[in-house]
Formats: sequence, structure tokens, C-alpha cells
Amino acid sequence: MFKSKTSKIAGVLLLSASMLLSACGKGGDKETSGSAKNALEQIKSKDKIVIGVKYDTRLFGLKNPSTGEVEGFDIDISKELAKDLVGDAKKVEFKEVTSKTRIPMLNNGDIDAIVATMTISEERKKEADFSDVYFDAGQSLLVKKGSPIKGLEDLKKGTKVLAVKGSTSAINISQKAPDTTVLEFENYTEAFTALKAGKGDALTTDDSILYGMVDQDSNYELVGGTFTDEPYGIAVKKGNEELVDAINSALKKMKENGKYDEIHKKWIRSN
Amino acid sequence: MDIAGALSFDHLKFLAAGFKVTLYIAFISIILSFIIGVVFGTLRYAKIPFLSKVVAVIVETIRNLPLLLIIFFTYFALPEVGLKLSPSTAAIAALTVFESAMLAEIVRSGLNSIDKGQKEAARSSGLTYIQTLWTVVMPQALRRMVPPIVSQFISLLKDTSLCVVIALPEFMHNAQIIYAQNINYIFPIFAVVVFMYFIVNYCLSLIARRLENRQA
Repeated sequence: MFKSKTSKIAGVLLLSASMLLSACGKGGDKETSGSAKNALEQIKSKDKIVIGVKYDTRLFGLKNPSTGEVEGFDIDISKELAKDLVGDAKKVEFKEVTSKTRIPMLNNGDIDAIVATMTISEERKKEADFSDVYFDAGQSLLVKKGSPIKGLEDLKKGTKVLAVKGSTSAINISQKAPDTTVLEFENYTEAFTALKAGKGDALTTDDSILYGMVDQDSNYELVGGTFTDEPYGIAVKKGNEELVDAINSALKKMKENGKYDEIHKKWIRSN
Repeated sequence: MDIAGALSFDHLKFLAAGFKVTLYIAFISIILSFIIGVVFGTLRYAKIPFLSKVVAVIVETIRNLPLLLIIFFTYFALPEVGLKLSPSTAAIAALTVFESAMLAEIVRSGLNSIDKGQKEAARSSGLTYIQTLWTVVMPQALRRMVPPIVSQFISLLKDTSLCVVIALPEFMHNAQIIYAQNINYIFPIFAVVVFMYFIVNYCLSLIARRLENRQA
């Protein structure tokens, strides 16, 4: 796995010295990497698609330590995409992304697309191109059973709400309940652990993820219904309309032939 | 708490894989940063016009930055100038840069702690400056530097866990994935993580103490 890394490191050290020179090389670089040398054709010519997914989010993308495979809704959708774009569900390579690393990795060309519980927002549309909505989530609240918090209106001054860094739900909650204190954690597991440890009164994120938590511990429940619309989209590097179109038609096909419903039923519980 | 479930064979194997990455990253960074640290520390000690000043500026700048920032820099900022690194290479680069600066300071203060008289005696007996450094000052200084250098290596090994932010599949990262499967795994997994870090770092401290005693 780490073969020839040492020589690479030596290269890195040399390269960092030559970084000063990169100012002149920059213009040329942009032309080759940034230009729309059709991303769709690139994927087809290398005969595989590299997709950034989460490794630590239950139901959507979670690595299974026993098999080494990543599993979840996003993963199955990605495999279907690969089937449609490169002709084989196996011709997909997964790379781990987090809410913080996914956009830089997309722009660096490390990954061709992001399928990682990513909400389509106006702000993000400036950084990446999005497909049609492939999953409709809504933000909700998770509390311990018997909690006085019954909905958004109970989040007053002095209540603490737990959220995850870099997610839209953290921003939403401070707008919808401006008096409440928001504590942000690295990932959903840590946020849930903090809720269980009594570090906050409620946990907020998309209902689909909260249901996954209720699955693990039935002492917790969702309250107040959903109060936002969180449409998940598949993101690709800006300016790749052909790829977006291809993804959209693949999504459409999935919905028509029942594959989408099958995947949805397998992972997502709704009540 | 679910001890049996958390510590299943597969989970321990997965943790071990992460620990291997941690040790690998730490080992390479220790070697590289030791070499660079000794060179930079000596250059700063030697007071070579201009060069020593440049080294001093570099070392002081890096030493006063948080390591997390340097990790973000090597992973997110370098690609902007066309230098793309994998998470493991970015981690090694960041740790090497940061720890080299720390070690350079340890080396410089170690060299400074050697009595000036030694240097003067060596020079007046006809040794060149380089020979004096290499055969008289350095061997004595290195022995004095062992304890702080080893404690710097220990913090380097612990600092590898910061690379979880760039999704490096190291020890903490794999631990997080295991307890993401089931929230009831968190305590037993943490216990294993604590135990493993402690064992390795404690062994390092023991080696340092032995080396320290030998010189006394």
C-alpha cells in the first residue's frame, strides 16, 4: 500500500523547494486540468468512476470493518451510477470524504463525483455542479424520550443543540432558533455520543440520519417533524454539463426500473 | 456497553491495520525530521552569516504555527499550486515540517549547553570548525539531547491522530469507524486505543530513561 512512498516524500521535499517557481507554471496548469476536456469521456476512457463517499455515516456510507466494504444508500446509488456510466456496477472506486474534504478533493481531481449526504444549496452551487435531487431529507430534532423539547419552538435561550461541523443543519438551526446555543462536533457519532452524555438537549440533522440513531438506541425519539427541506444531490466539478446530464439520466432510469425504490427501502426507514 | 461485540476479531484486525498506518507514518516522519532537525539546529547554532538567519526565520515561523494548520496546508493548499499529495504523503510532509522545527530547537539548545571552553580547546589544538563540531561538541550534545528528543518523538506519534481530519486511515480514524457501527462500542474501543498508545509511548520513555541513565 505504501510502496515507493519514501521516494515520493523525497520528491515532495524537492518540490516544495521548487514551489517558488510554480507561479509561472500556474497558468499552464489551469489549462490542462481545469478545462472541460469532457469529464464524462475521461471516466469512460479510464473505464471506472471514482466517487467520494462518507465512511462514518450509518445508513448512507459506513465502512464495515469485517468486510472492508463501505455500505449504505449512497454506496448503492453510486454502484447503480457506475453500471449506467461505465457499464459495470463493479467499476466504481470509493474514496473517503468528509464534509470538509469533499469539495477540495473534487476540485483537485481526486474524485469524479460526490455522493455523500450532500445537500444542494445556492452557496454550494457556486463551488460545484449538482445533479437532480436523489434523496429528500428534512432536518429534524432528536431528543431523549420524555424531554420537555417537543419541537423547534422549545429551543429557547439556554438550551443546547448539537450539530455536525460543515453541515447545512448547523447553519439552519442557528437561523431558525437564534437564541439557542449550537455545539458542533466532528461527525454524527460524536454528536450522538455527546447527546447521550448529556452535553446537549437535542441533536439536529437530517431525519434520515436521526432514524439511524434511533435504531441504535430506542431511548431517543424524533420530535417536531421536519422543518427544512434538504435535497441531496450528486456533485461534480464545475462546468461538466455532460456528466451532470449522464448522472441525471441514470437517476431517472433507476427510478423508472424500480431499482431506486429497492435501494431506498433497503436503507431508509420512514414513519 | 457491548464489550464482546466491540472487541470482535474483525474489529481488532481493523484497529491493528490503523495502528500499522500510525506507526508507519510516525516512523518515516521521525527519521526525516531527525535528519532535517539536526541539520537546521546545527546551521542555526553555527551562526553562518545570512544562512543561519534564514534557518532561524523558518524554524521560528513553523514552531509558532499549529500542526493542524500545517496538515490542512499540505493537503488542501498545495494542490492549488499543482502539488497533489495523497493523505499519507500529506501527513508525512506536515509532520516532518513541524517536528523538524521542534527538533531543530532542541538540537540548538543542546549544542549551546556544551561549555565554550571545549570548543576553544579543540580549535586551539588544531581541529577545524567542522571537526570540532563533529568530534567534540556534537557527541556530547547529542547525549544530553536524548530525553527531549524522545519526548518530541512521543508527541509526534500522538500527533499523527490529528491526520484524522484529512481522512488518513490511521488508528483514531479506524476507531471512529468502528464505534460509528454501534454507539455501544465506544467505551471498549477507547480502552483499546488508550492501551495501545500507552504501550508504545511508554516503551519509548523507558528507552529514553535507559539512555539517560547510561550517560550519568
